[in-house]
Amino acid sequence: MNNIVLILLILSGGGVLSFLLNRVNSQLSGLTAFVATVAAAVLFFTGIGTADNLNFTLGGMQLSMEINNYSWIFGALILSFSSLVMLYSISYMKGKDRLGYFYLNFMFSIAAMMGIIFSRDFISLFIFWEIMTWSSFLIVVYQGLSEGRVGIKYMIFSAIGGYSMLLAIVFMKAQMGTVLIADLISHFPTFALQQQTMVGVLLLITFGVKAAVMPLHVWAPRAYSDSPMSYTSVFSGLLSKMGIFGMGIVLISVFATSSETFGTNTFYISNVLAWLGGITGVIATFYAVIQTDAKKLLAYSSIGQLGYIVMGLAVGTKLSVMAALFLAVVHTIFKGTLFLVVGAVERQAGTTDMTKLGALIRKMPWTFVAALISIIALAGIPPLAGFVGKWMFYESLIVSDHYFLVIMAFLSSTAAFLYCYRFLFGLFLGQEEKEFENVKEAPATMVIPMMFMALLLFVFGVFPGLLFEPIAKGMETLGMGNVDWSMTVLGNGWGDHIDTLSIITVIGTVFMLAFIYLGLWNRKQTRYVTTKDIHTSGEIPTENENLTYAVDFYKPFERAIAPVMKRTMDFYYNHLGEGLESFFNFLRRFYTGNGQTYALYVIVFLVILILFSKQIFL
Amino acid sequence: MLLAFVVGVFYGGFVRKITARVQNRVGPPVYQNFLDILKLYSKKTAINHGWMQHLGPAFAITASVTSLMFIPILNGTGWCVWFENLNFKGDLIFLLYMMVFGSLGMALGAGQTGNPNSAIGVSRGLSQMVGYEIPWVLAIVALMLQTKTTSLTGLVDFQVSNGTWMMFESPFAFIAAVLAMLGMFHYAPFDVPFAPSELSSGPASEFGGKYLALMMSSGSIFSFVKLVLIVDVFLGGAANLIMLVVKTFTLYMIPVLYGIVSPRYRTEQSIRYFWGWPTFFGIVGVIYAVFVR
Repeated sequence: MNNIVLILLILSGGGVLSFLLNRVNSQLSGLTAFVATVAAAVLFFTGIGTADNLNFTLGGMQLSMEINNYSWIFGALILSFSSLVMLYSISYMKGKDRLGYFYLNFMFSIAAMMGIIFSRDFISLFIFWEIMTWSSFLIVVYQGLSEGRVGIKYMIFSAIGGYSMLLAIVFMKAQMGTVLIADLISHFPTFALQQQTMVGVLLLITFGVKAAVMPLHVWAPRAYSDSPMSYTSVFSGLLSKMGIFGMGIVLISVFATSSETFGTNTFYISNVLAWLGGITGVIATFYAVIQTDAKKLLAYSSIGQLGYIVMGLAVGTKLSVMAALFLAVVHTIFKGTLFLVVGAVERQAGTTDMTKLGALIRKMPWTFVAALISIIALAGIPPLAGFVGKWMFYESLIVSDHYFLVIMAFLSSTAAFLYCYRFLFGLFLGQEEKEFENVKEAPATMVIPMMFMALLLFVFGVFPGLLFEPIAKGMETLGMGNVDWSMTVLGNGWGDHIDTLSIITVIGTVFMLAFIYLGLWNRKQTRYVTTKDIHTSGEIPTENENLTYAVDFYKPFERAIAPVMKRTMDFYYNHLGEGLESFFNFLRRFYTGNGQTYALYVIVFLVILILFSKQIFL
Repeated sequence: MLLAFVVGVFYGGFVRKITARVQNRVGPPVYQNFLDILKLYSKKTAINHGWMQHLGPAFAITASVTSLMFIPILNGTGWCVWFENLNFKGDLIFLLYMMVFGSLGMALGAGQTGNPNSAIGVSRGLSQMVGYEIPWVLAIVALMLQTKTTSLTGLVDFQVSNGTWMMFESPFAFIAAVLAMLGMFHYAPFDVPFAPSELSSGPASEFGGKYLALMMSSGSIFSFVKLVLIVDVFLGGAANLIMLVVKTFTLYMIPVLYGIVSPRYRTEQSIRYFWGWPTFFGIVGVIYAVFVR
């Protein structure tokens, strides 16, 4: 059987099967989902090649599905990451109800994502896109519909995205007669100016909604933080990457080189998008800094990081696209891990409120190590993989003369240190609290995926070439020409380069020396004391005195950025909503629902018609 | 490294002396900091609060030593046989991040101690960092645009071969960088994170004995690194050791002398300060760089 069909069947069939098996045994349900995902992953990595394709004609339109180098990156990412998450899910979801429902939708969204990356035409892309939206919507409302209208918000924005893709498809069909992606790429330069703008903007809106680019992001923070954490890591790690996947095709293949030439139509679209990405990065980071809930902090931080990736794609030079795709992969790994960490904390300690939690480092050491490594990668500190991506990203912006964008990127990544620290401090460091005295480390099936991904971050930081290889191939498929890469040396267009191997050698040596001195030798001489036993300028804190500094952690910073934060995008949307509502209320005066009134309207209309018929029909 | 350590520590001693003189005291001898560090190294550390406290100072010293190794101390070939070529393998953006690593590591170490003063100090320090990093990055970006290189050796070579200093080539960027430097060295009025009288030296308050010794040495090396970085970038590097000492010392006096006579800002005032004139000069510097090249 065709491998593409087989993978889709295994995934969706696994979903249905785990839904059914939940009736028998709830543990079996998760296990089935895990096995199905792994099976699909194995098939993907061993059995699939560019030769696998699927062509059929439906309603007079040629549809096609195949895999190319560009979609291979995303396919590999989806399947390997979701296998790990599924393993984590088994313990994480243990004891929750409606597991069948959860796994069914989970597997369907994975299958839909695989469908999206296989699609070579817009119709199948649209169908899988909608399946993905629906299955993720059903998981967002897994914990109930009521609160804050989260699901509704997500649905509205997804609908906006879906309809704009539909419009674009209708337009394409009318204009070119086919809906193949390849045909759009070849026909695009022949379009008139308005048509180019329309197709481009419509498609970018679709993908922008999923990638949560400002101003289309308002659904994301709550949708991310309200779904179960094991799904959120897929939500933020993979579903949002589907937006990036689409944007890559639109910005690079469809707009092609015209987006780099100053003065062309698509150049402006790309640049507006790059700026939107930059603004998203800064504002979302500021919001992440002032959050008190770890889930929301990560949700905003995801939006901010995706802003970078969008910026990199929109700038569109070789280095920036490479950086964007590299960051996309690495972001999936570290943000996925962080969401899993929060999930583990939530399961073990019962809350994710950073003002309440503290000092879990001694209770959950492995989780802490995974969190620490991911945070270092998120902050972009060498020698981990995040640094490689950030470095290429900044260099590409500087070399291609986007100097104010680079400042925005620096501002948001410096401000990111604030929430990075807040996250670690809020959950793992600080004063030990009585309330969390008996918290235990998460079970092994949850710790292993996290540690594995943390290890990956390290490996990709030292040998970024492992990732450059598929990415470079993918970029060539997108039409970027020949892309240079090497295993451990990064370079920019000006001939400057850094060598990750020598960096890791120096850092590693110095760190090991200091670590042996302090951690091993010096540690023996010391004895452990509790966090109550501290320097308090002579006062002795009583047993119940609260020494935790966790509420309003960044108050001064909040004060400093207050002018920026005055208005949220939510505010404008709510006003728009209220405006629409009052407009409809106004309309309701005419449509009273009373037959008499409608009869009156008809008569009035007829009278007007008779009176002015000469003017109208002349 | 030894040089950096010695110079850094002596500068610390000088600062104490100068501060004392300005405040009409005699002050400790300039080698006092040496004695302090030696004493601390020989002390036994009695207590700890867990693993992160061990790792914190280790991160800090890693960051300062690593950044030192990737900075060209003197012009021309590497000054030490071992690390001869390392500075060609890193560049400015790498350094920017490496320098943050230390403070983040120290912040994590301080976090585990559970001392509320440390936490407040860290919160203030990181907030302030967002403040001064903006003009500093603007200045650096202006230089990169003007010289079309992002590597430190490239910048030094540019200045040597053109026989000029970036300080004059790109004056606005220099102003922005100096103003940002005030914040980087954490002297008053920007000593918000350590604030001895409010927070009992903030993040460091739980670290004693060997931890403190390691942190002090790391701090000394680090201030030397920052000075050499600015000398390399704006003052054309240094051809020999004497020039290096003269240049760095002159630079160092700017934040020190400004600090001695200043009271302390509140955190948000400090952030707003950096986002005011320094950022303005930085933006002017970038625009200038674009037009000049």
